[in-house]
Amino acid sequence: MRSLRRGRPVVAARRRMSAAFDAAVTTVAILAGLALSAFILVVAGVPAEELANEFIVNTLTDADNLRAVLAQAAPLAFVGVGAALAFRVRFWNLGLEGQMIAGSVAATAIALADVGPPVWRLFLMLVAAMAAGMAWALVPALLKLRLGVNEVISSLLLNYVALNFLLHLLYGSWKDPVDAFPHSPAFDPFERLPDLGWGLNAALPLVAAAAVFAAWLLGRSRAGFYMRFVHANPSVALAKGLPVAALVLTAVLLSGGYAALAGVCLSVGQEGRLTQAFFAGYGFSGILIAFLARNNALAAVVVAFLVAVLFVSGQSLQVFYQIPFAMVRLIEAIVIISAAASEFFLRYQVRWLR
Amino acid sequence: MTVTTAAPALALSGVSKRFDGFPALDGAHFSVREGEVHALLGENGAGKSSLMNVAAGLYLPDEGEVRVDGVVRRFSGPLEAAACRIGMVHQHYKLVRALSVAENVMLAAMAVESQSAGGDRSADKVGTTASRAALRTSYGSRLARIRALIDDHAARLGFSIDHRRAVHTLSVAEQQRVEILKALVTGARILILDEPTAVLTDEEATRLLQTMRTLAAAGAAVVLVTHRLRDVREHADRVTVMRAGRTVAECDPRATSTAELTELIVGAAAPAVTRKAAAPGVARLAIRNLTCRRHDGFEVLANLSLKVRSGEIYGVAGVGGNGQTELVEALLGIEPPVSGEVIIDGVGDIAMASPAARQSIGVAAIPADRYRLALAGTLPIADNYGVTRVASGAYGSVLWVDFRRMREEAAAGVREFDVQGVRRIEQPAGLLSGGNAQKLVIAREFASAPWLVVAHSPSRGLDVRACADVQRRLIDAREAGAAVLLVSEDLEEVLLLADRIGVMSRGRLVAEFDAPVDRQRIGEAMVDHA
Repeated sequence: MRSLRRGRPVVAARRRMSAAFDAAVTTVAILAGLALSAFILVVAGVPAEELANEFIVNTLTDADNLRAVLAQAAPLAFVGVGAALAFRVRFWNLGLEGQMIAGSVAATAIALADVGPPVWRLFLMLVAAMAAGMAWALVPALLKLRLGVNEVISSLLLNYVALNFLLHLLYGSWKDPVDAFPHSPAFDPFERLPDLGWGLNAALPLVAAAAVFAAWLLGRSRAGFYMRFVHANPSVALAKGLPVAALVLTAVLLSGGYAALAGVCLSVGQEGRLTQAFFAGYGFSGILIAFLARNNALAAVVVAFLVAVLFVSGQSLQVFYQIPFAMVRLIEAIVIISAAASEFFLRYQVRWLR
Repeated sequence: MTVTTAAPALALSGVSKRFDGFPALDGAHFSVREGEVHALLGENGAGKSSLMNVAAGLYLPDEGEVRVDGVVRRFSGPLEAAACRIGMVHQHYKLVRALSVAENVMLAAMAVESQSAGGDRSADKVGTTASRAALRTSYGSRLARIRALIDDHAARLGFSIDHRRAVHTLSVAEQQRVEILKALVTGARILILDEPTAVLTDEEATRLLQTMRTLAAAGAAVVLVTHRLRDVREHADRVTVMRAGRTVAECDPRATSTAELTELIVGAAAPAVTRKAAAPGVARLAIRNLTCRRHDGFEVLANLSLKVRSGEIYGVAGVGGNGQTELVEALLGIEPPVSGEVIIDGVGDIAMASPAARQSIGVAAIPADRYRLALAGTLPIADNYGVTRVASGAYGSVLWVDFRRMREEAAAGVREFDVQGVRRIEQPAGLLSGGNAQKLVIAREFASAPWLVVAHSPSRGLDVRACADVQRRLIDAREAGAAVLLVSEDLEEVLLLADRIGVMSRGRLVAEFDAPVDRQRIGEAMVDHA
């Protein structure tokens, strides 16, 4: 009857996969996403033979470009590790940008009000930024824990509250009296992240310490062990008497604090003043980094570095080929969709049935 | 087509299926004819469900063939099997809880119809009214047709079911009927039921099995996957026994003794439970006037009082759904009561304490719903074993968890409690079969000598051997001086294990007996107030 058919593909559930297989599938997916992105870039006018040059050779071998990559990687790593912390307790923190704004506003307030002696100023700014980022994250966390409000919506909408508050300040009392532009007055030199030489500032050691702390917390501490249960099966975590609310709160507050420090890297570290759009796009990048790193803090640092390469190359493409920077966002989106789609191959195996 | 009347309705032969190199099926065979109720018997993990999942198109076999009416079929999905008129009622029902009975049935019928009308890859023609025209009819008229079909089948089977009700408002037994109706309305002629009686009371089970006899008499082929010997002896025409992925025997259940069947299942005679006389001490758990309400205000527990002493097993018997789940969840702190006291000897009233606040008391909890209250299926066996003892500092400090020690102790616990199927201690707990997952829960909860045990239907869904193991552990705990509260919907289990028995009905404790007790009297207490 139908024996003449050539066969057809069928899909069956995969029972278990090894970590190596997992890594291989994800790598192939990311490479496929990059290949598709390369195709789009070529169509957009970048000569094919120049792609590898632009993306890898120029960015990593040229000292200026490498410096730019490292500078770019610090805020990305902060925001990526921050996202991973919240995701580990199943809290979808989409308010990373709002927390970045809240942190930088607090740091700027300390700077503009000249709080404390100059020696302590930067430290106070960092503490105030973390506290503000945590406070901004506390709102959706409490709404979720006490009232069951979905944090996807509450944390996302709080971004707009933070943004409008920022604009209110920049167009109002914090407007720079020197040039009358809607940005804050420039910070004093001692209010900026100190230079470590070779054009790099203190953001790098700061983010390295923060990532190691997060890796320890998630991977080695008792709280991190409990967070695995909160992530895997919240009802079992509750039934076995784990302090679920405290764990969620800890992770979310840290997430907000890390996001705030990402903001500080940009405003206090790079721009030297509070601007209107220093945070733009970092929330999405943070989610992308946490997702590709499977919520692993150290892997997030590596992914953040790669995304920074993409950012810096995107800037040079903008200069040399008039490719809009939105192309970088497009590449980010293609990579994340490829990685998400590859989960299909992790869960199912496709066989040819005759 | 080469259909001959001699061919069995469904025949599987030489079927092998491996999961990551681990053989679940190893050359198994099985066949069922029209007009018979055929029981597929075996321990948990023997491969019964896997074999039937092959027949129902959920698993592709690595080797072997599936014949329907003598014709070889290769199903790449359950819809293709449904198009060949094979229907399966799974152990965990596949129903959309928010939809009504009729909508659930229509959902399945539409899928099968589109499969038969559109793809039509493996089925030649289907007996339902499937056609492209049928797919184009309006939602309303199709729903009306489905309703008529449901009522028609329900009347024939003697089911009383309101097709307008939402599935989440139905009892477990009623949901099962919806699954059966779903299969029949979509044209199933070969009906596979996976452990259909596990969740039913004795009376409901008997009624279900009689219904299956009616179906078989009308020409259907019914496959009953079960591990309950009683179902088989009273209701099956033939029985196939599986062990470790292989078919070990096919026989006439009436001509085979219980001892012989048991031996076929477990390979050797099942260990019988032996016990010493009870030596009860002080009351470790005293429940006083416990009252719980559901969200809609319905009183699920009403002024319930009982005491469990050290060195005894207190059995709570009753038909399922009379407040047992609520009692256990109140005792574990998951759903706090409205009023009443739960007094723990030496601790005081903990009725309102959260599970976290109860950690230090050390109650060994064996809940009925394992993957909701006891195990995280995606996490390693070692993590699941260690989670309750981490807080005591057994595996390192707050700052540094000693995962190596946790793995070692988990491996030792798994060995001591005979958890089978553990290839690596890091493998996800969810890969264990039901009986072995239950043993893992017990290994964890009994890791330090238990003081007070709360067990809810601990051997439900387990095979003969795992069941005896679990019951043995409860008796060991009692003999070591623990107070054991056993809440079970399985009367046999309560009669076998309990020193004192309370009967629950409608959230109340309606009678209390000392063992040994005549089962007739308990039965009367169970139904008098029902």
